[in-house]
Amino acid sequence: MSDLQSMFAQLLSSNIPPDQTDLGGETIASVVITGISVVFMGLIILIILVTLYGKIFEAINKSAEAKAKAKAEAEAAAKAAQKKDEPKAAPAPAAAPVVEDGIEEEVVAAIMGALSAMYAGSGKKPVLKGVKAAKPRRSAWSAAGIMDNTRPF
Amino acid sequence: MAIIQSFLDTLTQLAQESGFAGFFADGGWKNIIMILISFVFMYLAIGKGFEPLLLVPISFGMLLTNLPGAEMYHPEYWNYVEDFQEDAGTVNSHYIDYQRILEHGGLLDILYMGVKLQIYPPLIFLGIGAMTDFGPLIASPRSFLLGAAAQGGIFFTFVGAAILNMSAADCASIAIIGGADGPTSIYVSSQLLTTNSSNSVGTIALAAYTYMALVPIIQPPIMRALTTKKERSVVMGQLRPVSRLEKLIFPVLVTLIIALMIPSAAPLVGMLMFGNLLKESGCCDRLVKTAQNELMNIITIFLGVTVGATTQADKVISIDFGKVMLLGVVAFSLGTACGILLGKLMYIISGGKINPLIGSAGVSAVPMAARISQKVGQEEVPTNYLLMHAMGPNVAGVIGSAVAAGVLLAIVK
Repeated sequence: MSDLQSMFAQLLSSNIPPDQTDLGGETIASVVITGISVVFMGLIILIILVTLYGKIFEAINKSAEAKAKAKAEAEAAAKAAQKKDEPKAAPAPAAAPVVEDGIEEEVVAAIMGALSAMYAGSGKKPVLKGVKAAKPRRSAWSAAGIMDNTRPF
Repeated sequence: MAIIQSFLDTLTQLAQESGFAGFFADGGWKNIIMILISFVFMYLAIGKGFEPLLLVPISFGMLLTNLPGAEMYHPEYWNYVEDFQEDAGTVNSHYIDYQRILEHGGLLDILYMGVKLQIYPPLIFLGIGAMTDFGPLIASPRSFLLGAAAQGGIFFTFVGAAILNMSAADCASIAIIGGADGPTSIYVSSQLLTTNSSNSVGTIALAAYTYMALVPIIQPPIMRALTTKKERSVVMGQLRPVSRLEKLIFPVLVTLIIALMIPSAAPLVGMLMFGNLLKESGCCDRLVKTAQNELMNIITIFLGVTVGATTQADKVISIDFGKVMLLGVVAFSLGTACGILLGKLMYIISGGKINPLIGSAGVSAVPMAARISQKVGQEEVPTNYLLMHAMGPNVAGVIGSAVAAGVLLAIVK
């Protein structure tokens, strides 16, 4: 252990000249050990700090979510009280999205991710029912005309 | 008759002074070979789509610098002035005469100052930061470990280069290729290599970008060899959403920690995080667009063409370049393997919740390495989406390779 410490101290205090060849086993070993250790140390410190503030924000977000949920429930209860006589509609089971041929799964994943991110924190669970390519609204000629007219701006 | 003689003399003189004559001068054949090599890289970039945004400028820089008589780049101007006496009476053995370069240098000499003075790579990092979403990394901070592990390739390759009896500058410059990060490789090699070194910034950059383009070919066999079908089939849960405030704190925190811990990594990490803060601030749209597009494109052109200019015949047509290419692929493969092996360890510790394939994305080739994790994962389970999980180690790899570069620069100087 003391050998390792002295190796670290020696390497950090005395640098290797760029032109030096024949580095020797001890120097090479100390470069590898020091290099890997410093990279890991730096990133582990970041892991600790990012995890720490992540936990803090998660707790804050959860309490905010709980408040929002409680508020939504209270509103729903009030609405339910008003509409006592109306029959309740059963929630539809989530079906697998219908994906048009030619659309890559990565695109579907990206759309699902975007939807989840958009509704995150709102308490709602979005369901993707289908994905299909949008048809062009105007013909190629009309699009070219618009491009030509708007290009100067 | 005298007019004809004068005309012929002028033609002869023009022919002797032309670049064509230079091909027949001593060592001129090497220029022809280098020009042919530049054509190969142009073909790879344009015809095969290998990192075209960088390989096209690099290959054209290679063409320009090997045209005899064009005088666009002068390697001799970049030699250190031996034992230069500075004003304070101190001796500087790494002094470059920039005054001479400004007065007599060619276009590429002037542009190359941006590489040698370490201006371009940090500016490229600014653009990368402005384009990067660190959300997956903040949501899953353990990804940092995979980004760190993949840097093992850098340091193990240092051993290989040292065994081949290369200089410390060459060892560090070749090893950093394992970080799979072009600007970082250029940043380290431009600080350490001199015209007396057996390699040049250009050859290091060529190897780095060639292997980055070959990530889809190099990584998958290593990933499959080191993992079992069961490990590759792990479907990971959804990442937690990350708030805007967390994303705002992250770049400031990383800059403070890394720059204070390893000051030599500050230019790269600092600019990367500055670009990211601009992006996440949400109030600097114009600056973000400039950093992502115009600035990034301008610097890419300058960086590529000048780095290409340093690839002169004596550096490329040599055994040393063969060693760079060999050690470069070793560095890349070791980096991938180290990431996967730590991923396997995390798979065991987490009770099979982490797919080890995301470990290979720890080499920083963004986003290609993450896409490869996704692709190899989907070979086993077609509905498995590892992309966002792999982006965490991928962007951690960018930070990790900048830290590794800082460590190498702190040790070798």
